[in-house]
Amino acid sequence: MSVLPINSDQPPLVLQDLLFKLKVRDVMTTDVITVRRADTMRYAQALMKTHRITGVPVAEQGRLYGIVSMDDIITALETGAMDRPVEERMTTRVVVLEADMPLSFGASYFEKYRFGRFPVLDRDHRLCGILASRDISASLLIELYKEYCRLEARVPPLAVRAEPARSIHIRVHRYDFENAGKGAHEIKKTLAAMGVEPAHIRRASIAAYELEMNLVVHSFGGVLRANIGPGEVVVKACDDGPGIADVELALQDGFSTANDWVRSLGFGAGMGLGNVRRVADEFSIQSSAGAGTSVRAVVRWPAAGGAP
Amino acid sequence: MTLEQAARALSAEWVHPGPAGAATRSLRGVVATDLMSDLLVADRHGHLVLTSLASDQVIRTADIVGAPAVVVVNGKPLPAGMVDLARELGVALLRSTLPMYEACVAVARAAGP
Repeated sequence: MSVLPINSDQPPLVLQDLLFKLKVRDVMTTDVITVRRADTMRYAQALMKTHRITGVPVAEQGRLYGIVSMDDIITALETGAMDRPVEERMTTRVVVLEADMPLSFGASYFEKYRFGRFPVLDRDHRLCGILASRDISASLLIELYKEYCRLEARVPPLAVRAEPARSIHIRVHRYDFENAGKGAHEIKKTLAAMGVEPAHIRRASIAAYELEMNLVVHSFGGVLRANIGPGEVVVKACDDGPGIADVELALQDGFSTANDWVRSLGFGAGMGLGNVRRVADEFSIQSSAGAGTSVRAVVRWPAAGGAP
Repeated sequence: MTLEQAARALSAEWVHPGPAGAATRSLRGVVATDLMSDLLVADRHGHLVLTSLASDQVIRTADIVGAPAVVVVNGKPLPAGMVDLARELGVALLRSTLPMYEACVAVARAAGP
């Protein structure tokens, strides 16, 4: 006995549609395993065991005579009738489906009769298939997938913006002068590939480079991010500390806490943050001693063909 | 003044010639400094960088600010990484034995009034 895992009275609309649209013939198994009337119940039982089925129609030349079910086999075992012909022991009052019936009708039969399968007859009342509950489940899955693909194909693509947004994310390590500047170079390269005007690329690159060098020189390490959208790039540098005790002082040109080694490399002159603020259209900084520092700089440019 | 003329005035050795045409392109000025911060603050591009600092970061900074050429003065030895980076980023790299002050004077004379 099998029960479909769907409610055929009030299934979801998409299932209702499919159950009505599909016919029994679309779903049924056409390669039907059958026995003849003269075959023994033992033969029928062996056939059912081999093919792992719980019922086998009795048919000859397309004409359906009955069905041998598991109940019939058990009864034959109990009464010692396994070597009797199936025509003596088969169920003759067989509930059948017609191939042209909507699948919704077939599904309702599983609930109504609680049988595992139903023989299917064609318009000439000849056996042309068999419908099991798993046939319905499998075909519904396939049809639902097709429906999903069809609906997905109808979904319009996301609106294409004049300049697709791009993100750059680079981890920066303390005192890693060897790699310092690679992030800013990546941002510069990306903006150039997008056709942004050199003057704006230069401003954005300088802001990113200054912030990247600050991460290398002054922080315990952090992350440089750039989000490039239409007409702007937002550069952010966030670090893991040690934080700035006096932000206003740090913004003054010439103020620096860099050590001699850093200065010998040409950095640490105390111009960085001020320079970022100078080249950016928008600038903000959050920091406190003992905590991390977060700097945000936005560089904007006019849209292609737009007002300056 | 072109890079070629500046190199002649500085008696500079060409370490990396930069992209095609770099030698004959006009320079838009000169920045002489050992501070990368100064380069980053200078509001110009297409200029020559004169420096006595020989490090990778000079090339990176030149690339960021749009300086097409760097001349390292005082005849300082150039680290291999600096030369490699100049090739990678397409920045012309030269070396002159002149000290910084003399180098500035030589370039200024070559540039003319």
